[in-house]
Amino acid sequence: MLVKILSYLQDHATALKWVFFAFLLGAVGNDFLVERHHAHFWGDKLIGFWALFALFGCLGMIVFCKGLSHVWLAQPEDYYDRKEDEDAE
Amino acid sequence: MLSSTIFLHPASYFIVGAILLGFFGRIKIVQKVILLAVPLLAFWQIHALPESFGVCNFMGFELIFGRVDKLTYVFLHVFTLMALIGAVYCLHVKETGHHMAAFLYVAGSLGTTLAGDYLTVFIFWELMAFASVFLIWYRKKKRSIEAGYRYLLVHTAGGLVLLAGIFLRYQNCHDLSFAQIAANGATTADYLIMIGFMLNAAVPPIHAWLPDAYPEATVAGAVFMCAFTTKTAVYVLARAFPGFEALAIMGAIMTLYGVGYAVIENDARRILAYHIVSQVGYMVCGIGIGTAMAVNGACAHAYAHILYKALLFMGVGAVLEMTGTCKLNELGGLYKRMPLAMIFTVIGGIAISGFPLTSGFISKSMIIAAAGADHRVVLMLMLSLAAVGTFLSVGIKLPYFIWFGKDSGVEAKEAPWNMNLAMLGAAFMCIFLGVYPEYLYKMLPFAVEYHPYSAYHISETLQILGFTGLGFYLMVKYLHPDPKCNLDVDWFYRKGALAFMWLARKPISRANDWVGEVYRTVGMRFTMAVARALSWFDWEGIDWAVDNSARGVVEAGDQVRALQTGKIQQYIGGAVIALMIVLLVVVFL
Repeated sequence: MLVKILSYLQDHATALKWVFFAFLLGAVGNDFLVERHHAHFWGDKLIGFWALFALFGCLGMIVFCKGLSHVWLAQPEDYYDRKEDEDAE
Repeated sequence: MLSSTIFLHPASYFIVGAILLGFFGRIKIVQKVILLAVPLLAFWQIHALPESFGVCNFMGFELIFGRVDKLTYVFLHVFTLMALIGAVYCLHVKETGHHMAAFLYVAGSLGTTLAGDYLTVFIFWELMAFASVFLIWYRKKKRSIEAGYRYLLVHTAGGLVLLAGIFLRYQNCHDLSFAQIAANGATTADYLIMIGFMLNAAVPPIHAWLPDAYPEATVAGAVFMCAFTTKTAVYVLARAFPGFEALAIMGAIMTLYGVGYAVIENDARRILAYHIVSQVGYMVCGIGIGTAMAVNGACAHAYAHILYKALLFMGVGAVLEMTGTCKLNELGGLYKRMPLAMIFTVIGGIAISGFPLTSGFISKSMIIAAAGADHRVVLMLMLSLAAVGTFLSVGIKLPYFIWFGKDSGVEAKEAPWNMNLAMLGAAFMCIFLGVYPEYLYKMLPFAVEYHPYSAYHISETLQILGFTGLGFYLMVKYLHPDPKCNLDVDWFYRKGALAFMWLARKPISRANDWVGEVYRTVGMRFTMAVARALSWFDWEGIDWAVDNSARGVVEAGDQVRALQTGKIQQYIGGAVIALMIVLLVVVFL
């Protein structure tokens, strides 16, 4: 049954997308209404601060980590094994 | 008196259980009963522990095997619960040695948690390292054997630093009681002990053993390992070093370091392993902040984290068991074939991301709020950013590329019933704690005044989760997993070891050959002359006297040779058994 529901949702991905966008609007809209008497710093007083923080944090993290991996960290999967074999010869 | 208290100690249940498992190696049904009964018994037993027990005098040192307070209790509670879940998960495993290693590993963790002095801590600390390495070796692949040796070497080095700290401490103040150390009076000895503990907590730059070893462990072994080593380290740090500024800063760095690698890794179990570094960072940071709320948060997070991280390791382990791979680039679209495992893994994913009504929501936020309440805005923002990365890497990326995404066509069916049952148990706890946080809060070491379900916290969480999701949606095509190996600081010792091996093989071996050559040409003649002289003396004088004893030596030598199988695993196993016997004798007498 679960498989059917998920397959149905996958077939209606466009509708799902709009539900997701509506949720995002709702999340920011809700931020206008909540009380904030426990503000820890200036960001807690700005409406929608955490939405922007999450969006730019997420994009920044992807760009930074993927970029660093691409230019430096990523090596072939047998990186450590291969050198060993060369040495053994 | 002590022989009666040994039956109080939950670790002794697991040690006796491990021995019994060995005896009933052929009778699987008895083995299964032991596997379930021992953790159940221990889970029940910890409620009945007195505040102090098992105190004994050993060569002038006072060893305290049992010290129980609220901080101990919350960790004992989750460790024994996790031992039960893990035992259910590995019921189908056939190797007796695997079960024994798992039980001894749990015993080490419980023993460390209950220890009241540094010597006892050290004994159980090493037991943990030695027992857990077998959980890697039982995978029986070349990579696992190698990773196991690296794991063992790194932990031995860490253990030696810890031991050096303990010795130095004894020299300084003749006091080995394991208690809180004041941050302003800490000496070199204390910092050495702290480094020993930090190695097990996987604090960068001494963290690389974790993402190196855990992905190479057995399916069930990784479930045990992700729960015990790092969280025992969190316990000992919380016991001895709350309020150390270094921990607060390192912890916050850890959260981002681990999550950064989790974003780029391809192997699902390596993603989860890096993500342990990130999650333990929250706890280390909480301990470093050191306020009542922060330490509470660290304990609560350790409790919640053990359950959902084990759940994720179980879910991904089920995929590995059924498909033979857990690399994201080879998976996709599995929801049709393993829907149960998918539900459980997704529950683990939303719990770790801190969705409302899950355990992550009520534990992680406590540490972030404690950082805010202590006016540590930079720490708070770093922890919040790590929360974004958590949802991105483990909450969305991992389930998306395994269960959804492009259908890989990998053949799979549902995991065995016991695996699913264990996952059900952990998933239940993740939601139960989210719905009923008081269950966890009333176990914490300090009184809790924190209310997670405030309107502002919910609003903040919904925004963070929603807009992280938007970020993923926008960037999904850049996030495609590549089959790559990402460098980390283990490069230094893995490449360093290769350089050392080269040195041993090329120059040193050449020098050795040269010395051999010199010996053959020069030394040989001299030796032969001496030998002739000696043989004359031998023949004439001693031979008849020694003849009989020589035969005896030859026979004894043959017997010893039979013991020397040349397998270091067996030597270490033998050493551990010998250690256990010594320990039992010490406790009993």
